[in-house]
Amino acid sequence: MATLMPTRITAITQEPLDHESLAVALRPWRRRLSTQQVVYWTARGIVLGLILACLVLLIARFVPWLTAPYWAASIGVACAVVALGAALWLRPSITSTAHSVDRLLALHDRMGTAWELREQSAVLARLQRRDALKHLKKYTPAATISLRLRRSTLVTFAVLALAAVLLTILPNPMDAVAKQQAAFQGQIAQQVKNIDNARQVLAHQPNIPAAEKQKIDQILKDLETKLQQAKNETEAQQAIAQAQSQLAQLQNPDATSQMQGQAAAASSLQNSTNPGLQSVGNALSNNDSKSLAQSLQDLASKVSSMSAAQRSQLAQQLEKAAQQAAGQNAKLSAALHQLAKAVADGSASEIADATNAVEAAQAQDAANASQNDSINQASNSLQQSANSLASSTDNSVTKIVQGQGQGQGQGQGQGQNQGQNQGQGQGQGQGQGQGQGQGQGQGQGQGQGQGKGQGQGKGGQGSGGQGGGNGANNSQGKNEQVYVSGQKSSGTSTQSGDNSSSVQSGNSVPYSQVIQQYNQAAHDAVDNSNIPPDEKDIVHNYFDSLAGQ
Amino acid sequence: MANNSESTSSGVNTPIEDSLLQEGYGDLDPSGYDDVHPYVDSRVQDTGTAAPAAQTESASSPVAAPSEGPSETDITRFMETTQKLEQELCSIVVGQERVIRELLLALLAGGHVLLEGVPGLGKTLLVRTLADALKLKFARIQFTPDLMPADIVGTTMVSEQSDGSSSGSKRIFSFQPGPIFANIVLADEVNRATPKTQSALLEGMQERTVSVGDRTRPLPRPFFVLATQNPLEMEGTYPLPEAQLDRFLLKIMVNFPKAEDLLRIIDTTVGTQSLRARQIASGDELQELIDIARAVPVATHIKEYAVRLLLATHPDQEDAPEKVRQYVRYGGSPRGLQALIMTSKVRALLEGRYNVSAEDVRAVAFPALRHRIMLNFDGLADGITPEHLIETIIADVETA
Repeated sequence: MATLMPTRITAITQEPLDHESLAVALRPWRRRLSTQQVVYWTARGIVLGLILACLVLLIARFVPWLTAPYWAASIGVACAVVALGAALWLRPSITSTAHSVDRLLALHDRMGTAWELREQSAVLARLQRRDALKHLKKYTPAATISLRLRRSTLVTFAVLALAAVLLTILPNPMDAVAKQQAAFQGQIAQQVKNIDNARQVLAHQPNIPAAEKQKIDQILKDLETKLQQAKNETEAQQAIAQAQSQLAQLQNPDATSQMQGQAAAASSLQNSTNPGLQSVGNALSNNDSKSLAQSLQDLASKVSSMSAAQRSQLAQQLEKAAQQAAGQNAKLSAALHQLAKAVADGSASEIADATNAVEAAQAQDAANASQNDSINQASNSLQQSANSLASSTDNSVTKIVQGQGQGQGQGQGQGQNQGQNQGQGQGQGQGQGQGQGQGQGQGQGQGQGQGKGQGQGKGGQGSGGQGGGNGANNSQGKNEQVYVSGQKSSGTSTQSGDNSSSVQSGNSVPYSQVIQQYNQAAHDAVDNSNIPPDEKDIVHNYFDSLAGQ
Repeated sequence: MANNSESTSSGVNTPIEDSLLQEGYGDLDPSGYDDVHPYVDSRVQDTGTAAPAAQTESASSPVAAPSEGPSETDITRFMETTQKLEQELCSIVVGQERVIRELLLALLAGGHVLLEGVPGLGKTLLVRTLADALKLKFARIQFTPDLMPADIVGTTMVSEQSDGSSSGSKRIFSFQPGPIFANIVLADEVNRATPKTQSALLEGMQERTVSVGDRTRPLPRPFFVLATQNPLEMEGTYPLPEAQLDRFLLKIMVNFPKAEDLLRIIDTTVGTQSLRARQIASGDELQELIDIARAVPVATHIKEYAVRLLLATHPDQEDAPEKVRQYVRYGGSPRGLQALIMTSKVRALLEGRYNVSAEDVRAVAFPALRHRIMLNFDGLADGITPEHLIETIIADVETA
C-alpha cells in the first residue's frame, strides 16, 4: 500500500526542509525512551538484586554466615544502583532512537534512513525525510511509549520482596553456629597470641641452651600454624596435645630427682655443726652458684688450718651428704664424695678439684631445672589455651567423650611471713592439688600458716600440679583420637621457701587404665539411676566398646 | 546515433542496418553493432510487435541530473507508470499477482528472471503481455536439445548484393542476428538445451553483448531474458549450472492458480474477446524507471542486514544457522547481495516508500536467493528446500 500518493509528492517537496527538524522531532522520543530505559532497567536491577539477596539469605540458612544479611542488603542496593547508573550512562542516542521509533511505530526504517541521510540534499532524500516526519507526527511519545511496569514484573518484585523479608526476620539456626565459629576463631587468635607471648618469654630465658630453645620455639611456632589452620576445637586440641607431648619429650626426666638429691644433700649439710658446711648447704638449697662457690672457697681455705681429726669429722659430714644424694643425684654425690676424700687427705689441689666438681654438678642441675621450668611454663600456657578453648566451646557439636583423668600434681607456693613489732613468725603451708581438664589436671595449693611469738604468719599459695591422661577411642570402626576430659584430681602441695614457682607436670596415665575406671564409674552411675533398662544397655554397650579398644 | 565506425567486411552499411539504426538502437552503447538483420528461425517465434526501443515521446522526458538524482517528476512518473503497468498485467494474467510483482521487481531492477512452473500457467502470456505493455521487441526461443548457439546469437552468412548501377551483384558477408537481439527474450524450457547452447545466453545476460566471430555486438537496451523451466519433466534435461543460475536476478515460482482465479481465466480467455495489453511505457521510459529505482537510498543498517542474510546462506560462516551448516553446499554469491538490494529498492518505491526497509529485504530474499543456495546430499535426501532454509535464515538473522 502506497503511503504517499504521487499527486501529493509535489506539495510535500515544495516545503522547505531542514534536517534540524529531524533532530527536533526525535528529541521528545529520545527523552521518553531514556525515561523508559531508566524505569525498566532500574526495576530489573531491583528484581535482580532481590533475587541475589534471597539467594544469599537462603545460603546463609545452610552455611554459617553471620554477615549474610549485610551482604544481601548490599547486593540488592548495588544491583539497583548499577542498573540505574547503566540506564543513565547508556541513554539512547538519536540514531538508536530513530531505529527504536521505526520498530515501535512500524515505520519501515523511515526514521533510521532519514537520520542517516539527513545531510543529503538530493530530491529523493528530501522526499524521504519529509515522508518520515509525516509518519512520525501521527504519533506522540507519551501515548506510544508506556512507562508502566509489566504486571509480571510487579508480581515478581512483590514475591521476591516478601521472600527477602521472611528470610531476614525468621530465625536462622545457622546464626548460633556462625557465632560459635566466630568465637572459636577469636579464641584461636587469642591463644595464638598467648603462645606468641610464651615464645617471647622463652627467647629471653638465659639458662636454656640455644639448641633446646630453638626446639621449643619451633614446636610453639608449629602449634601456632596448626591452630590457625584448625577448623574446629578437636583439631585445635589435637594440635595442643601434640605440642605438649613434644614439649614433654624435651624435658629431662632426671631433673626432679636430681633436684631432690641436691635438696637432700643440702639439708644434710645445713644440719652440720660446721658453719662452712652450713653455708655450703644453704647455697645448695638456694641453688645459688655464686654463694656455693664462695662457700666452697671459704671451706677450702679453712681446711688447711684444720687438724686431721677436724678434717676427718668434716669429711664424714660431707660423706653423709654425699650418701643422701647418692640415690637421686649421682653426679653431685660423686662430687661430694670426692670433696670428702680430699678434705680427709688435706690435699689442697684435690680439694680445689673437688670443689670445682661440686660447682659443676650444681650448675648442671640448675640448668636442667631451668630448662624444665621453661618447658613447664610453656606446657602450662598450652594447657591454659586448651582449657580456654574447651570452656569457650562447651556447646560445640563436636563429639567429645568424657573420661576420667588422673593427675598428680605438686604445688609449690611461697609463704610470706610478716612480723609485727619485734616478733618473728614462721609460716607453714599445706597445699592441695586438684586436677581438672582434659587429660591433664590442674592443682591449686593453699597454705595456712601460724606464727609463733609475736609475729603473724601467712601461708603461701601454691599452684597445683598437672594430671594428665590421654585416651583413644574407636568409633564406628575408625581410629579417632579423642580427648578424655579429666576429673578433679587430688594433688599434694608442698611449700618451699625458694623463689621458684615452677609447677611439676603430672605423670601420664595409660588410656586403658583411664577408660577402665571411667567405664566402671559410668556403669555404676547408670545402674544406680532410674533409666529404662534398654537405655541402660545402650550406655553399657557404648562404654564397653570404648573399653575394648 | 550509433557509432558506425565499425563495418562489415565491405565497409558499407546495408539499408536494413540503416533502418534499424534509425528505429532506435542508436541510443545503445557506442561500441555497438552495425550488421543487423531481422532473422526468424523456424524455432524462433517473433511476435511481430517489436518496436524501436527509443521513441520520440520518451525523448522529451526530463532526465535528472546525475548529481541530484531523479527529480520529483521522475518519481511521480515512476509510481504512476509502475502502478499502471502492474494493473495492466494483472488484468490480462489472472491469478498471478505475486509473480507479476516479482517480475516487475526484476524488470525495474534491470535483471533477468528464471520462471519455474508447470506448463500452462501463463508464463508465455505474461512475458508477451509485458512486451506489449512496454512496446518492446519480444522474441521467444523454444529450447530443444538440438538448438545450437548460432540459433540464438546469430551467424555470419554470405549474401548477394546488387550494386544497382550495373547488372552484376557482389557477395558479401553479413551478420544475421539471432533472436537474442530483442528487448525481451523468452527462453522457454531453457533446461532442455545442451549446456553449450545454454551458455550462449551467458554473455548476453551478463555483459549485454554478443560475440560472434571476432566481433562483439551490443544487445538492445533494455534487455531482459525471461527463462522458464518445467520442474516436472526432468528426463533428458540439462539442469542449468550454478554459474548460469547466478545470472538470473530472481527465480520466480509460478504456482497453480486458485479456484476463483481459474473462473476468471475462463471468462477472459475462452470467450470471443481477445485481450491485448495497452502500451503503458516505452523501452526508454523503462530504462529511466530503472535509473530512478537505483537512486533510492539505502541506510547502512539495511545494507548490513542484507549482508548478514547473504552470509548466513554460507555453511562455513560462524553465524550461519544450524540447518544451513547441515544442508547447504554453497551459499549465495555477491550477485545475490546485489539482487537483494536492487529489488528491495524497487519494492520500496512500489510500496510508496523512498527508502529501503528490512521488510523489503526479507520480501525479496526468497526469489533472490532460492536459486543461489545449493543443497548438499543431505539436504536433497531429506527433502529440504531452499525456501525452508531462507525462512530459517530470516528468522535467525536479526535486523539490527
